[in-house]
Amino acid sequence: MRHPGDGLLRRLLDEPDGVADSDRSHVDDCPSCASRLMAVSSDADDVASALRFDVDVDVDAAWSRLLAGADHEAPVPVRPRRRWKRTPFVAVVGVIALLGGASAAAAGNWFQIFHTEQVTPITVPQADLVQLPELDEFGTMRVESRPRIRDVDDARTAREATGLASPRITNLPMGVTGQPRFLVGDRVLGVFTFDRAKAEKALGRPVPEPPAGLATTEFRLTAGPGLAAVWPGNSGAPALMIGRVVAPKGFSNGVPFETARDYLLSLPGLPASVSGQLKAFTKEGGTLPLIVNESSESSFTTKVGKAPATVLTTDSGALSAVFWVEGGFINVVGGSLSTDEVLRVAGETRWAK
Amino acid sequence: MKQLLKEREGAVPASVRSDLEHIFRAAYPRVVGVAARVLGSRDEAEDVAQETFLAFGRTTVPAGEAVGWLCVAAAHTALNHLRSGRRRVSREEAASDRVGVAPDVAETVVAKEEQQRVRAALSRLPRKQAVALVLRHSGLSYAEVAAALDLSPASVGTTVRRAESALREELNRHASSR
Repeated sequence: MRHPGDGLLRRLLDEPDGVADSDRSHVDDCPSCASRLMAVSSDADDVASALRFDVDVDVDAAWSRLLAGADHEAPVPVRPRRRWKRTPFVAVVGVIALLGGASAAAAGNWFQIFHTEQVTPITVPQADLVQLPELDEFGTMRVESRPRIRDVDDARTAREATGLASPRITNLPMGVTGQPRFLVGDRVLGVFTFDRAKAEKALGRPVPEPPAGLATTEFRLTAGPGLAAVWPGNSGAPALMIGRVVAPKGFSNGVPFETARDYLLSLPGLPASVSGQLKAFTKEGGTLPLIVNESSESSFTTKVGKAPATVLTTDSGALSAVFWVEGGFINVVGGSLSTDEVLRVAGETRWAK
Repeated sequence: MKQLLKEREGAVPASVRSDLEHIFRAAYPRVVGVAARVLGSRDEAEDVAQETFLAFGRTTVPAGEAVGWLCVAAAHTALNHLRSGRRRVSREEAASDRVGVAPDVAETVVAKEEQQRVRAALSRLPRKQAVALVLRHSGLSYAEVAAALDLSPASVGTTVRRAESALREELNRHASSR
């Protein structure tokens, strides 16, 4: 019997009755799963402790306060509306993921990695690609092929697993040491169908009438395979990552991409400045959309070799990454480096078959 | 009739749903609890809860779905507060004074820093993970979390597990870099 996933182990802690007897028996008898369960339990306890914040509230006083507030509220339509606003980021990811296939998710997730200051990235972006996060809030996403991110022994194994060339760099930046670890991920395939009701729920407001046929059109989104090499720094923490993934593509079996694009760009809640940029995207791709959080990151465009590239850096300058699209691949070099260093590494990287 | 209701002291204004008080009294402590786990501040959590119930009062969300709706809305609103930096310093300081009964200044400072560190780490998680994590640790069942987030019950454990692992890594990374 296969080992149950971490999610099932997590549920076993909270709601064991919700777990099948066969899985429970397996965990009871399997030393490996028992060990994993201990780790899951430890994390759960730590987080419970970290998030604990006991509050003692006066409901009567709170109700009076609410009435006072409600008296000053102007009536609004009774249409259910999420109080929290959908961030432009969410809308943008949803829109460009549909337009450019999973490229948006790839870009968005890479950006998320960057944003969260992690430099062991390929594991996370491709794992997130499985779910194409946020896009499922605009419709239904059926994942038909998952990436199975995993460590492999060496560059040769990475090449054999993916059919891709692996990165080779001889002049490592200062502070980056040792041998890299290699990660690989398989091709991802998801099928997305737009759902007006879900889009309205996600955006918190009614959306215009969709084009005929959009509701029944299936958009097939593919990305990968991909591989990455990650080098440690002096402290042992990941300091440099060089990776590439087969550029995502999108296919439609009904409504043309352009029609879907124009409709999606008409949805309320999308800032005009963003809409203007999105109009540049086509189904052929060629442009890697990267979303920059203006409050904490900066970006500029340059070139790696002859290919247009986008450089992202945190405002603190602690992390930098450069993305470029070339030969059907999205390449990235990133880490706890300066922009000059990531550009130098990007320019000097050779891809060995 | 609506006018009469409005004029009666303590009555629900006509602009909001009639079952609001019943739902409010039943769900308010839990909604505050959700927001407090995100914000680490009782005062801010109560502000978020008020905001959430005001929004809820103007919806037609079925009463049976109210708790899930309210908890998700509170979590999102609280996360928005965290991420937008709209936290009020005075309230934060006032709230931090209530973080346990610290016997000395050093412990108070440590507790306050820990609160801030956890909340900062939480704000860096992917949104869906953060919300699922907070809902689960606020006592919602897997079925309730699933319904509130449009997830399958089977995937709740995976989402919560990933969130816990990610939060631990965030906390460890920042602890090691200090």
